[in-house]
Amino acid sequence: MPHQCTSCGRTFPDGSKEMLSGCPDCGGNKFQFKPAGATEDTTAGATDQADPPSGDAGPSGSAAEGRSRTPPTPDDRSASTPEESGTDRRPTEPADATPSDASASADASAESDGTEQIADRSDEDTAQASARSEVVSPDELDRASRDIEPAETPPAEEEPEPGIDALRDELNDQFESIRIVSPGQYELNLMELYDRQEYIISLQEDGRYVIEMPDAWGIQDE
Amino acid sequence: MGLLTNLRDSISRVTDGLFAADEPKRIGIYGPPNAGKTTLANRIARDWTGDAVGPESHIPHETRRARRKENVEIERNGRKVTIDIVDTPGVTTKVDYKEFLDHDMEKDDAVRRSREATEGVAEAMHWLREDVDGVIYVLDSTTDPFTQVNTMLIGIIESQDLPALILANKTDLEGSDVQQIANAFPQHETIPLSALEGDNMDEVYTKIAEYFG
Ligand SMILES: Nc1nc2c(ncn2[C@@H]2O[C@H](COP(=O)(O)OP(=O)(O)OP(=O)(O)O)[C@@H](O)[C@H]2O)c(=O)[nH]1
Ligand SMILES: [Mg+2]
Repeated sequence: MPHQCTSCGRTFPDGSKEMLSGCPDCGGNKFQFKPAGATEDTTAGATDQADPPSGDAGPSGSAAEGRSRTPPTPDDRSASTPEESGTDRRPTEPADATPSDASASADASAESDGTEQIADRSDEDTAQASARSEVVSPDELDRASRDIEPAETPPAEEEPEPGIDALRDELNDQFESIRIVSPGQYELNLMELYDRQEYIISLQEDGRYVIEMPDAWGIQDE
Repeated sequence: MGLLTNLRDSISRVTDGLFAADEPKRIGIYGPPNAGKTTLANRIARDWTGDAVGPESHIPHETRRARRKENVEIERNGRKVTIDIVDTPGVTTKVDYKEFLDHDMEKDDAVRRSREATEGVAEAMHWLREDVDGVIYVLDSTTDPFTQVNTMLIGIIESQDLPALILANKTDLEGSDVQQIANAFPQHETIPLSALEGDNMDEVYTKIAEYFG
């Protein structure tokens, strides 16, 4: 139950589609992420995020780099990234995906009222959630590896230490858009941040964060 | 805000709705930390509304939440252009509290600033995806424009077909190199200015009206 509504306390499994349209019980749209504990995680990508030489890292290069490290996230589907709008990199479609999904996804995300898109996303959300939290099935491995560029080194096998490091790794894996190097030191994957439908509003060093769903942006006036 | 102003505002909103048919465009002020985004936002807001938008500082990541100033009415050549300006946190790929320790900050404060700055980047990126109709991209013309952040943000802006103005700020400083910015982004118009001194603001406003009107 990795997510919990901050107003009524209801919990949701990771990737729950209910969460995406606000808490069904109280309508709240802030959720706290509660790490389930240490899981067997790959830590690929932990070391390859150093600043590329300036000048040669265009949007497509960086995005591809960001993508290739990890299995596709749910948000990859709705991403409207510079290089991806015309190409479908997703190897497998959920059975119920609409035929026009690939080409229409950018529009859908831009002007979605939430519902349609969420329906579309549910399958992959679930798949993604279990891919993260359970032992990876051969099918999922296959799915993941096909999304990884051939040149990329295979995921490192090392197991994270339990405790704070494991929590951090889990957060990093969940949110590959932000990597916590150590308290107060962060690396950001701008493309991932740009692609995400929800955004992080509060990072906490113990591996928790509070996220807010797209309904009500907290923005300060004047 | 007085009653009359309120009334006038709501009337003009109604007439805007009836005749102009569109809401003010929301213009995001984007760029790397310390480029002078808030200084520019404050200058625009002060020039046309009398208010400021937020605090400026030589310490990077001063702005850590997006801040909005609505209904900024800019008059150019007898034409009125109304925009909402959003001053956003500086975008970067790395935030390190150690950077703040040089500015006489306690470690705790530096770590907190660092966390907030990271959240700020997430917010800025999110706004870019969902909530802006145009972008003013501010660069410090004394620094190298060929960075990953600039290339990526300009790339995103182009992929979204957002109208974008590139401002080469801090022309009052020695070492300002406007041409280098123009070379870095030849597909866009680069306008030199000093947001601090107010140099060349006339051209900036003319371009804002032209691009976002
Ligand atoms: N000399 C000079 N300094 C400027 C100019 N514009 C801004 N500055 C200075 O640059 C520093 C950063 O300005 P800010 O407006 O806070 O920069 P910012 O882009 O909002 O920075 P973040 O909020 O940290 O992303 C401040 O010390 C400003 O006084 C300019 O045109 N000339
Ligand atoms: Mg600022």
